Amino acid sequence: MVEDVIRVDGLGKVFEVPVRDPGLAAAAKSLGKRRRREVTAVGAVSFSIAAGEVVGFLGPNGAGKTTTLKMLSGLLHPSHGDCRVLGFQPWRRERDYLQRITLVMGNRNQLQWDLPALDSFQLTRAIYRLPERPFLAQRDELIELLDLGPLVDKPVRNLSLGERMKAEIANSLLHRPKVLFLDEPTLGLDVTMQRRIRSFLADYNQRHGASVMLTTHYMADVEALCERVIVIHHGAILFDGPLRDLAERFASHKTLVVTLDEPADLSAFGQVMEQTGARTTLRIERSRTAVVTAQLLSEHDVRDLTVEDPPIDDVIELAFASGAVEQ
Amino acid sequence: MSAPVADGVPDPGAPDLVLERRRMQGLRLVGLHLRVNVMNELQYRSNFAIQLIQSMVALGTGLVALALVFDRTDTLDGWTRPQLLVVMGVFTIVGGIIGFVIEPNMGRVMTDVRQGTFDHVLTKPVDSQLLSSVREFRVWRLTDVVLGLVVLVWGITGLDTSVGVLDGLAFAATLAGGSSLVYCLWLVVTSGSFWFVRMDHVQELFFGLYRAGQYPVSVYPAWLRLSLTYLVPIGFAVTVPSESLTGRLTWERGLITLGFLVIAFAITRFVWVRGSRRYSGASA
Repeated sequence: MVEDVIRVDGLGKVFEVPVRDPGLAAAAKSLGKRRRREVTAVGAVSFSIAAGEVVGFLGPNGAGKTTTLKMLSGLLHPSHGDCRVLGFQPWRRERDYLQRITLVMGNRNQLQWDLPALDSFQLTRAIYRLPERPFLAQRDELIELLDLGPLVDKPVRNLSLGERMKAEIANSLLHRPKVLFLDEPTLGLDVTMQRRIRSFLADYNQRHGASVMLTTHYMADVEALCERVIVIHHGAILFDGPLRDLAERFASHKTLVVTLDEPADLSAFGQVMEQTGARTTLRIERSRTAVVTAQLLSEHDVRDLTVEDPPIDDVIELAFASGAVEQ
Repeated sequence: MSAPVADGVPDPGAPDLVLERRRMQGLRLVGLHLRVNVMNELQYRSNFAIQLIQSMVALGTGLVALALVFDRTDTLDGWTRPQLLVVMGVFTIVGGIIGFVIEPNMGRVMTDVRQGTFDHVLTKPVDSQLLSSVREFRVWRLTDVVLGLVVLVWGITGLDTSVGVLDGLAFAATLAGGSSLVYCLWLVVTSGSFWFVRMDHVQELFFGLYRAGQYPVSVYPAWLRLSLTYLVPIGFAVTVPSESLTGRLTWERGLITLGFLVIAFAITRFVWVRGSRRYSGASA
């Protein structure tokens, strides 16, 4: 049986935020009495994650992703509900817990700006009390996996954003955490660098069996890394399951790409999205896929035909939109 | 380290590594951060020149003011000229210690809280107060400590009384205690940023008050003297160490300083723990 590493049960966070009307008068008034409003960042979410699992945690801005990650990494005290990560209650911030996790946030810098990353690694070693030999082994492995060799002895300020992120990730994994909370680790990086980091994370997960919870806005990250996704919107979970089921749940249409021997008008079969010569892209209702395919094959000389789910970006957009409707 | 057990289930995430002992970790962190900061600052040599000029100007004006005072009188509330030079030396040394370690670290905490980067401190398996207090060192500010020592020695050579080993030890102890009190005060003020976010102006206020420390607190009227002793512990930080070198320190005063220090540390710890918990509640 695979052990649940993360168990979240009805976890929620409500913030009290000051509110005031625009304008100088309202600003002056708020000096005295402040009005406050409760904002639910996370309603009551429940899920569990097994050892070694990589889960994509998706949602639009303000959905509650970061708040959830902060509760799981011990930065925030939840307003209600409970959760256990590796058997610990995160917000108690026990050293034994913090020793086993890591939180990586894209665009955040923890390395010493003016010094080579190697010096920052030494600080990390002291903070996590890593004995020399395993520290060096882990460090060298990370340097190799992330192609950091020529970079670690340059001052961090001279590195590009992507190079810095790689060094940042290495620094966050020196203590061999069992659970990785990654908050948009590929934010702002170019495609090549994103791909590099993705393949590294997949590799790291394989080697060390660490559980990973990843938030990202890049669907390519999700497709490359996560078999399972949790979609959160307005602080509630919309979907939790295999990535491939996501389209089934949220996309009511499929895309049919047909190439005929000769160009023909196929608008009777579905909505024509694009037509170039004999090649037509149709949007058809999911439930009619089989019927339409059969009809096409019997009525036309079909040279090639493919049935596709809409791109994952579109599916996610549909999921968010459905979430907005449910609200 | 024993593997924690929750609900009877053995922890699947016990680290593979046997960690180094926690003993001396604080000192190691201080040492490493100091090293890193020295390496950082060595890249900006011009800072040293600027700092040296600043220190000399500050000390110079202080000495001129002192000279003006002694143009008109021989003693100031019973303090002779060499004795006041000792005070000036201690004042400059403590100012250097503040600028070297206290102010940069506390400033960093305020910035971190405002920008949300305090996350990085709270997710580390180290005491957050310890880590927050030893991350930054402005090495060049040690010029104040050196210049302060020069003035101190100059003052001591002019004293009528001799300074023995015991006096020296008392001086070192009261200087450490006094500086720790300043640290406590500053940390409490800094912790305010967990509640109010912007606290920079309070730092300025503190610097303003600290300037009063170049004279023994006894020269000030009672209300100011009491504030400078108990509210803003400049009396303890500057005057008491100076007393230890000028034969004015009593056992009583020493014990009060110690008691005050213990209370200050307890309050500081309490405020810090409450504050950092509050940060948890305020950031998203």
